[in-house]
Amino acid sequence: MLEIKEVSYCYQQGKPVVDNVSLTVEPGEFVAIAGRNGSGKTTLTRLIMSLIKPANGQIMLNGVDTSRQSPGDIARHVGYVFQNPDSQIFRDTVASETAYGPEQLGFTAQEITASVAEALERTGLTALADAYPRNLSRGQKQRVAIASALAMKPDILILDEPTSGQDAAEKENLMRILTDLNGQGKTIILVTHDMDILARFTKRAVVMASGVKVFDGTVTELFGQNANVQKWGLREPAIMNVSRNLTKYGISPELTAAEFSRQIIGMLQGGRA
Amino acid sequence: MKAISFENFSYAYPKSKVVLDKLCFDVKKGSFTAIVGPSGAGKTTLCMAAAGVVPHYFGGRSAGSVVVQGVRTMDSTMGELAKGVALVLEDYESQLVAMTVEEEVAFGLENACVDPKLISSMVQETLQLVGLAGREQQEVGGLSGGQKQRLALAGALVTKPEILILDEPASALDPEGAAELYGLLGRLNKQGMTIMVVEHEIARVLPHIDQLVLLLNGSIAVVDQPEAALRKMNAEGLFQEAIPPLLELRFLLEKSGCRFGTWRCEADAVRELSAALKEAEEVSQSA
Repeated sequence: MLEIKEVSYCYQQGKPVVDNVSLTVEPGEFVAIAGRNGSGKTTLTRLIMSLIKPANGQIMLNGVDTSRQSPGDIARHVGYVFQNPDSQIFRDTVASETAYGPEQLGFTAQEITASVAEALERTGLTALADAYPRNLSRGQKQRVAIASALAMKPDILILDEPTSGQDAAEKENLMRILTDLNGQGKTIILVTHDMDILARFTKRAVVMASGVKVFDGTVTELFGQNANVQKWGLREPAIMNVSRNLTKYGISPELTAAEFSRQIIGMLQGGRA
Repeated sequence: MKAISFENFSYAYPKSKVVLDKLCFDVKKGSFTAIVGPSGAGKTTLCMAAAGVVPHYFGGRSAGSVVVQGVRTMDSTMGELAKGVALVLEDYESQLVAMTVEEEVAFGLENACVDPKLISSMVQETLQLVGLAGREQQEVGGLSGGQKQRLALAGALVTKPEILILDEPASALDPEGAAELYGLLGRLNKQGMTIMVVEHEIARVLPHIDQLVLLLNGSIAVVDQPEAALRKMNAEGLFQEAIPPLLELRFLLEKSGCRFGTWRCEADAVRELSAALKEAEEVSQSA
């Protein structure tokens, strides 16, 4: 379990980038963190990883204060995937890149082989084990970064904008992988701007605005308050926006075009009949 | 008038297979074109070919030609082409070179030997446009991903190019920032700037474009007005997963006999569906 208790952080003197944030994430949750550029999302995840230390407050991982743990201790529990996979990939093959984390954590050779094989399999990279990471597509590189985090067998996986700059098919593939991992018990914390992904795949949304946590609830609750969603720099997914604007005709809010079209066709044909 | 013309253009990077295969299409002067397609289709290479970076910088083999404002890129130089064409790459960090925001935006002007007295006001004006005013003295390294992306755009806009080519310009922006960016591009286009943009999220560009090009495996699969192009992608199952949900809805409704006008944004759909549902309600009440 992850508990963030009244945590604040400033990069330089002045306005805090993360301002008195409290947040508890239970094992097995799939949480999205959304908000404007510069609202403190990435800083919050860096605090969780102990890459930076809170100016105030406390972060507890499984009951232990992270400020008393080494980066290695934290890496055993929390895997982190950066926004830009190029910034974390440095070895010559996908398999050796994936093996780096477990090596640093002192896994035995046998454990390394097994955890790398498993991580590559879960991310659909087994066939690319010997490929040179820099020659891969952006989506494949992103999966290498996820495999590298998974190989350390963390309970929690934090991903910063993993779908940005990816095409529709890669995005679906990536989200399927994360959904499967979540189904197998991993806690997933996803920083994302993509409202469609937030709405379709996550259950709980946390919204940051100017360093403050301004919303923490279900995705349905979030999109129920449209004025605030706009104020926080977010946008409702298109189909949800259109369907919510038609509730006076008896339409109930929908997320997918398929469901929504069935409702409308039913109404229109009902009218004609 | 053509701003950019791909005339049977093919290209391969050194020691690599063909990336662009016999491209034939025009970007009209003053138009707004979106290039879409899966990763690896050749979209970025196409952008670089339109700016002359391919083949001038990368070498490689090419056939056919790319004509920009009446000049074959092969017969010109990157420097000469840069006077009329600005290119913002997807990897925006790779094109940021200066220490501060102000220096970064001034860089292109200094290279173009613009009168130093004019530079400061031009930089100001451009930073205002992209929403970075007030950050002149900030270090580039301290900006967020979205701010860096807008800074790269400012560096391109400040030279007032006739043609602006952008590769995934909103990939690091939040939904509001992306909508603002495309609003800005739409306004610049209305003022006469020719714009070509690579974008994964078709819904973002749809309100602004007049041409959609689908690139598949280095070849042009579809080039048409946006509605017609999306209709073809839907009917023929070409890169169907990229069709915006709003248009997916429309095509599903059309299958059941519904007919609509142009849908470019959510408000269009709300208006037309409200009218249809209202009519159905009245019919059922009168029955």
